[in-house]
Order: sequence, then C-alpha cells, then structure tokens
Amino acid sequence: MIRLDNVTKVYGTDSVAVRDVSFDIGKGDFVFLVGPSGSGKSTLLRLMNRQERPERGDVWIAGRNINELGDSRVPYLRRGMGNVFQDYKLLSNKTVFENVAFALEVIGKPRHVIRQQVPAVLELVGLEDKHDRLPDQLSGGEQQRVSIARAFVNRPLIMLADEPTGNLDPATGEGIMQLLDSINRSGTTVVMATHDHRIVNMMRKRVIQLDRGVLVRDQERGVYE
Amino acid sequence: MWSRIAYAFRETWASFRRNLTLTAAAVVTSAISLLLVGTTFLIQRGFDNLLVRWKGDVQMIVFVASDAAPDQIAHIQDVIKSQPAVIDITKLKYLDKAASFEEAKVIFTGDPTLLSLLTPETIPTQFKVVPLTGDAALVRSLAEQYRGLPKVEGVSLAEDEFQVISTLSGFVRTVTIVMSVVLLGVAVALIWNTIRTAMFARRREIEVMKLVGATNWFIRVPFMLEGLLQGLIGGVASCGGLWALNRAWQNGVAGFKPGTGISALVVPSSYLNGVMLMLLIIGALAGAIGSGIAASRFLDV
Repeated sequence: MIRLDNVTKVYGTDSVAVRDVSFDIGKGDFVFLVGPSGSGKSTLLRLMNRQERPERGDVWIAGRNINELGDSRVPYLRRGMGNVFQDYKLLSNKTVFENVAFALEVIGKPRHVIRQQVPAVLELVGLEDKHDRLPDQLSGGEQQRVSIARAFVNRPLIMLADEPTGNLDPATGEGIMQLLDSINRSGTTVVMATHDHRIVNMMRKRVIQLDRGVLVRDQERGVYE
Repeated sequence: MWSRIAYAFRETWASFRRNLTLTAAAVVTSAISLLLVGTTFLIQRGFDNLLVRWKGDVQMIVFVASDAAPDQIAHIQDVIKSQPAVIDITKLKYLDKAASFEEAKVIFTGDPTLLSLLTPETIPTQFKVVPLTGDAALVRSLAEQYRGLPKVEGVSLAEDEFQVISTLSGFVRTVTIVMSVVLLGVAVALIWNTIRTAMFARRREIEVMKLVGATNWFIRVPFMLEGLLQGLIGGVASCGGLWALNRAWQNGVAGFKPGTGISALVVPSSYLNGVMLMLLIIGALAGAIGSGIAASRFLDV
C-alpha cells in the first residue's frame, strides 16, 4: 500500500530531515513511526500525502509513484487518505456535523450522501449526540474524535495520524487508540507518528524507529525502546 | 455540480460580510477609477465631435449655399483645383447635403433646437480642403479668394478653432488616461489585498480543504468570484455616477446660447450606454484578475 525507496528529504541546503529511508507497508497494516522530536516522523507523513517531495528516492502509494504525480492529481490522491493531527485542525466556526461534512462538501459529494455518511461516522466515534456542538464546547478527546471522524468519513484506504494522542491524558489517549484500532480492523491502513511509549507498548504493532532522519529499527509487534 | 456552485456562492457571500470594511474600500476605489475612465471616454468623444469636421488634415472648409446649382458647385470646385501646387487636390472632398446633414447631427447632438432648423434640403454643402503648404498667410489669402466666389456662404479656417481645441484635447486626454490607469491599478491592488486578507483569515480552512482533497480551483473560485463581484459593484456604481454626471452636463450645456459650438460636447446616449457596458466589463475583469492573482499566489497558506 505504501512503499518508500531510499527517500531523502532536505530542508534548505543542508538540513537533512530524512536520509535514505526505505520500507514497505502492506494493505491493512498498523504501523507506528517512533523517535524523538525532530527525528523525521512528521516529515515522512508529509511525504506520504505529497505535502512534501523528496530530494531523492520514490514514494509509492497504492502502486503509484506520487513524486511523478502532477499537481492537479494530488487532490485525488488525498481523497484516498485521512489525516489526523495533534492539534485536531478543526474549524472553530463550524459545528461537529459541519466539520465532518466539510470534508465531503469540498470534494463535491451531494447533500444526500453527506446527510447519510456524517451521522454514521459520528456514531462510530461516539459523538452522535454532540453533532451540533462547536469544537470549543468539546473536550480534547472529543475534538480528536471529530478530527478522526472527518478523516474517516470518506472511508480512506490510508489514515495518517501525527501524534494524535499528544495533547491528551492517558485514559483519553487509550480511547483514541481503540478508535484507530477499530478503523484499522475495518481494512484501513494506519500510519501513526508518536513518541508516546505507553501507547506503543500497549498496542504491540509494527514499529519503525527513526533517529535524526535515519531508519534504525523496523520491528513487527515492537515496543518503544 | 449544484452543491459546488451553491458552496462557491455561499462562501463568497460569507467572505463579503466578514471583510466588509476592506470590501467597501475596494469597491469605492474601483468605482472612482472606473468613473474617471468613463469620464475620459465622454470628454474624448465630446472633443471628437468638435473636431469631426477637421478630420484628415482638413485646414479649410468652404461652405456652399444650399440653393447652389450643380454648375455653380462645379465652378467652385474648379477654382479650388486650379491651384494644385498649393491645394492637395487628391484629398479635396465634397460633402453633399446628405453627408453634411449626417455630420451636423454629430456636431449638434446637444443642440436640438439648432438641429431641428436644419434639414437635408436647407443645409449648406461643403468642400473640405487640405492645403499642401504650411504657410498660414497663403491659406488665409486663398480663403479670402474663395469667399468672393458666387454661392459661397463662408469659409472656415482650422487655425481659428482647431488648434486650441486640439491642444486642449491632447492635454485632457493625457491627464485623464494617466489618472484612470493609476487609479485602476490602485483598485486592482486593493482587491488583491482584500482577497489576500480573506485567504489569510481562512488559512486553516484552506489547509484542511487541501488535505481532504479539494482541488485548487474549488478553493480558488469563491475568492475569484468575490473579487469579480467587488469590481462589478464598483462598475455599477461608476455607471450610476457617469449617468448622473452626463445628465448634469447635458443640462448645463442646454443653458448655453444655441450656435456657440458647446453643444458638440454632448455625447449621444447610445455612446454613453456603450461606455457604461465597457465600465462593467473592465470592473469585472479588474476584480477577477486582482483576485485571481491573489488566490493563486496565496493558496499555500
């Protein structure tokens, strides 16, 4: 589903974010990208959704080399991906329903589809009763659930999550992980960047560890070292 | 498809309300600049009306009485043509009654009283004379000679009226064109700035839109529509202003005594309508261009 071949990303002239990284992630896998801050985890996620392009190497998504993708095709690539962020990136002037519906609206889904899919995904994340609340009327965990609902409403093949539990207390973080796990079980490939030891050790999924942009460990059912 | 169109209009309207002050500034500036552009066209048309009879290097007009017989007209023509060294006989033009009446309709647009006295039957015909010489004294002596010919009602010389109007026309044209181009540039810059501000205010939304797979055009269209509407509203306001200005001018000109020549400065209403349509198009284009540049440039916010 996702393949990186000798990918190197340099910011500016000499700030190497990722150096010669290669790995392969299969369909339906759940993978943790771990490492300290600045190790290149977020850069890898940004390379996967074409927010960045590598200086060297290739990024393959669902059999396509996305470096060779024309700019006009990038939106269509992203429609097959969901993105979840540490700071949720919710729109403060829109309700829970509208935030989730927004993801369908901007890709031109008709109204009847929106009316059908949004309540279903809100039920999945346990927020069906709070569809008319504004983001600042929700707890951090609930806001992250809205963000996940928005990422998942289009039933993407891949979900990229960048420190989704970073702003949450351990118990709430566990709830979010259960949600991501259930999404993964429905067939969506999940790639999650984190430096949360407890979560990684609890889930026992594949772990790809980075250190200063270099891949230092790729382990099935791994733990955070 | 409909959901996309509805989305674009909804977003445009929301953005309009959000940036009301900046929007108003952009609209007022574009209205003023477009009004100036429109005024330039009307002034130029007025001057062109005044100068229409002197088009094509004509320096002298010999008016022939409307009751002149064909042989009398031919005699006048022969006299004029008899000096090929001084007169450019290839450019000598005779305007018969119909042609003279058409020309009079342009010159006396703003003087309906005088125009109503003229008919294609009673109007004098004219010879338009292009001299080869630049010697004003020689041209003047020729005019004296023609005035003495039978059935010649009068001779007009360009140097008497043409030079002053022509110089004035050139000066006014330069000043108004420069001012309107500068102001139009300011209007485009203001629209550009309004759109940039609107995009910056919505940068988070744009970021989310891009990440969920909205195309650049989908994001860009509401902003471009907003700029286009700003220019168009400015255009509508300028049309109103131009109409009022023209009306006041017409009323002012009507106060002058008939035959002073000022009436030539009034433009026909068909021309005014054409200019107003052009202002709407320029306004919409300026708005779309300004916002289009901003929307493309700041899409990576």
